[in-house]
Amino acid sequence: MKVMIGLEIHCQLSTKTKLFCSDSIENAEPNKNVCPVCLGFPGSKPKINKKALDYGIMVALALNCKINKSMFFSRKSYFYPDMAKNYQITQYEIPLAVDGFLETEDGKIRIRRIHLEEDPAKLLHVGGDITSAKYVLVDYNRAGVPLLEIVTEPDFTSPKQVREFLEKLSSILEHLGVYDSSREASLRVDANISLEGGERIEIKNISGFADVEKALNYEIVRQKGLLRMNVKIERETRHYDAERRITKSLRKKEYEEDYGYIFDPDLPEIEITEDWIKQIKANMPELPHDRVKRFVSMYGLNEYQAKVIVYTDKYLADFFEECCKSYKKPTEAAKWIITYLLKSLNWHGISIRQSKIKPKDFVEFLELIDKKVITERYAKELIKDYVDTGVSPRKIVESKLTKIDDSQLEKIIEDVIKENSKAVEEYRTGKTKALEFLIGVVLSKTNKQADPKKIREMLLKKI
Amino acid sequence: MICMTDYWKIDEKLVNHICAAAKLELTEDEKKKYLKQLEEILQVFKEIDEVDTSSVEPSFHPIKIKNNWREDEEKKYEWDPLGNTRHKEDGYFKGPKIV
Amino acid sequence: MVISKDQKLCDKMKSVKEFLQRAKAGDIDIEDFLSKVLEKTEKIQEKYQPFITINKKIEGKFSKKLFGLPISVKDCICTKDIQTTAGSKILEGYMPPFDASCIAKIKKEGGFILGKTAQDEFGFGTFCTNCAYVVPKNPYDVERSCGGSSGGAGCITAAADFPHIAIAESTGGSITAPAAFTGTIGLTPTYGRVSRFGLIDYANSMDKIGVIAKEVFDVAFMFSIIAGYDPLDSTSQKLPEEDFTKYLDKDVKGMKIGVPKEYFGEGVDERIAKLVWQKIKQLESLGAHYEEISLPMTKYAIPAYYIIAVSEASTNLAKYCGMRYGATEEIKGNFEEFFAKVRSKNFGEEAKRRIILGTYARMAGYRDAYYLKALKIRTKIIQEFKQAFKKFDVLAAPSMPVLPLRFDEIAKLKPIENYMMDILTIAPNMAGIPMISLPAGFINGLPAGLHLMADHFQEGKLITTAGAIE
Ligand SMILES: [Mg+2]
Ligand SMILES: [Zn+2]
Repeated sequence: MKVMIGLEIHCQLSTKTKLFCSDSIENAEPNKNVCPVCLGFPGSKPKINKKALDYGIMVALALNCKINKSMFFSRKSYFYPDMAKNYQITQYEIPLAVDGFLETEDGKIRIRRIHLEEDPAKLLHVGGDITSAKYVLVDYNRAGVPLLEIVTEPDFTSPKQVREFLEKLSSILEHLGVYDSSREASLRVDANISLEGGERIEIKNISGFADVEKALNYEIVRQKGLLRMNVKIERETRHYDAERRITKSLRKKEYEEDYGYIFDPDLPEIEITEDWIKQIKANMPELPHDRVKRFVSMYGLNEYQAKVIVYTDKYLADFFEECCKSYKKPTEAAKWIITYLLKSLNWHGISIRQSKIKPKDFVEFLELIDKKVITERYAKELIKDYVDTGVSPRKIVESKLTKIDDSQLEKIIEDVIKENSKAVEEYRTGKTKALEFLIGVVLSKTNKQADPKKIREMLLKKI
Repeated sequence: MICMTDYWKIDEKLVNHICAAAKLELTEDEKKKYLKQLEEILQVFKEIDEVDTSSVEPSFHPIKIKNNWREDEEKKYEWDPLGNTRHKEDGYFKGPKIV
Repeated sequence: MVISKDQKLCDKMKSVKEFLQRAKAGDIDIEDFLSKVLEKTEKIQEKYQPFITINKKIEGKFSKKLFGLPISVKDCICTKDIQTTAGSKILEGYMPPFDASCIAKIKKEGGFILGKTAQDEFGFGTFCTNCAYVVPKNPYDVERSCGGSSGGAGCITAAADFPHIAIAESTGGSITAPAAFTGTIGLTPTYGRVSRFGLIDYANSMDKIGVIAKEVFDVAFMFSIIAGYDPLDSTSQKLPEEDFTKYLDKDVKGMKIGVPKEYFGEGVDERIAKLVWQKIKQLESLGAHYEEISLPMTKYAIPAYYIIAVSEASTNLAKYCGMRYGATEEIKGNFEEFFAKVRSKNFGEEAKRRIILGTYARMAGYRDAYYLKALKIRTKIIQEFKQAFKKFDVLAAPSMPVLPLRFDEIAKLKPIENYMMDILTIAPNMAGIPMISLPAGFINGLPAGLHLMADHFQEGKLITTAGAIE
């Protein structure tokens, strides 16, 4: 059965200040980062943040869009308690950019449009959820945070492809430095999904890529079930309950909502000149797509490794490159990162950025393996401790070494001397190789957790 | 969307739709009165159909104004944002429920 | 405290020019003067009701350029900690947390904010009768209107027996109409020349803050203080500051005056037209030339203006819903019920009419025919004026088609008849060109106005021309 999915993605831009006023966008106590503009006080006037325009143009270029030479802001009118003015300043007829695309493994996804708009305030539903609360509390700190809305054509054919697209997109946004993935709900998705023979269903406001995939999978199963039972699928808006992992109906959509758009008369035209675009292009950071290619040519990674490292998280790619500055075996580093480090991070449910893993410590860890101070088998165990505690592997190893204290070591050495009298005799008669053999035996008895230098010293004293 | 063949005509159904969108509650008498006045107004407004604007760009302002922006610099606004309302709780604005 | 050097002087002195000279010379005890002004204001208020709020707190630094000169401010302009309602019940008790940029400039120059003047609710009116608080009465005949929507500004300017200047605002003629009806001088500047920051919006693409006063000097003087670029208003014009009083030293010799025939046509009181022609002839005798011209788009200005104005206004008025400021209710029901209750109870009749009309004009399926079409007609109107100003320095016309109407006459007008009264002021306001209204003479004891219009940013020419025939 043919599935058609289209997305509207709202991404919070990581500017210092809001889109139309000079308040910080940082988290704060409720209603602390607010001013008369973002609260819609009478007489206040908006003024556009140049940085948000720069960021928008960067994203438009990265997504292969056509940038409009001249753009305008519009007022989208609807009443809602999270709206300071009961209209949202957004872009309608003439958005920032149109007609772009982004490649996925399963084909090209067309981008219909990209535009800038203001985030509404955050609502707390008191005494229940959105359907049962007694009243709402409103925090306007979020009101006016710059959002970039990216609208795709309904080109997705599976939830998996949606997830891949979102990961790629998020990687692009992070590489451009316009988006901070660690902010709460900084990327929110509205997904439209229709199955052959059914009407279009919209699932509103899902945050998190995994949740988008889950919500869509649930919807496919639900809609298939309905179609199989010959139940008509009507147009409606649904909401994803992340806890119960199901979608719930919010409202039936009988007609297209009428937002009564007008051009915002407080905000004059923005002319985007060739020079401006040129300047942005000249200062564009490397995009993930190019970075993958460079990882292959520069570090000798295979394409799979390069893609995993780049697309998982920009921070991970930066981490890898930082390691490679002092560690000269990039493929080894890539192997350990992909096979063991990522697995362990996933198991803890954190990103590398949230962990305490530092490139310097990780390089030392790789060197411990190279110098055979630790075995590979032990290293695989060690990396779990490392992710868990954030204590550098070198320190973990050192602390384990000292765990076998001198008296324990002395006892082991005495035992080894007793059990290997032949080797001891050989050493005494001048065969120095026998000493190396004895050190090896002691080391293996300590599970390789003692310092070979120390074993040598103590052995020499005893024999 | 409501489809109309003659956009210079307004009826009661449309007035109801507009009032719902604009969050206005009118009495039946008010509705009747406004409807009649709107009809009279639209009769006159209709004259703009006579103007040929086929090759004319719209003017959003009387004077072309372009590229008036600000830099991304933070400025803390010192004030009490809740000073003009009695609907507040723990630093939040208080508002009506959704459903 | 310095004791007033001449107590009687304070009582008699009426001209702003004289006040400024004497204040500069140190002849006036400002606080004493202002308390007298407040006493007089109370008496005027009893008789004519120009104010919604009178500011009784005499405080501030009354030095610099203004020395405590009393300035009245239209109520749609935000004044910090002084009630600002834009003439609407929905903003009753609202205390702005900031001053409008023009008010900040006036305070910086040592002006005294005398009070907030009455207006049609949000500027929605031609006669200052769509008022939630007080309807100002015309000092020439209390049965008649002061004109709107800056009616309170015109009223106090005409009635003040002390030096005073009014700050007013015009979207479609709201400075010209009251100036004409009260026999005062009203300057509506070029759009964007005075910052709109702190102005409570009616129709943002047309709103302009201006001045009403008794003499052309006063208008030029105050305009010099409030004009200039403001980073807080994105539509503010980046032009250097200027002393506009210097244009009073120029003469009108060789000046070309266009007289648009559409502005003397049907519906215009012939007696007013005659007075205006006398003024044009007077300019001719001073060395100016005049020629009749035609501005055929004039007819379409009214519908186009109202469509743009109500489209913008209906979005501006959405924010008034009882949540953050202004009139409210107990929180009951869902947001749709709550918002509808607050709004229905506190908006006046004309405000509701414009919200309905504006919501209609913006609706999908209609907006191309109304809103977008009107924006295109605005382009044609601007082009028509631009064409005229290639040839002429100023255009001259009557300010209003009628003499100040009686309140009972106004009450009988249908809304559309009321809108048609703006026929002479709408087009220049839509085009954002500067204009000045000044007395053309009296008919049966009632004032009539002469309207002069100039190209964008040519306020200087208006001041020169008006000064020559004042
Ligand atoms: Mg949006
Ligand atoms: Zn703000």
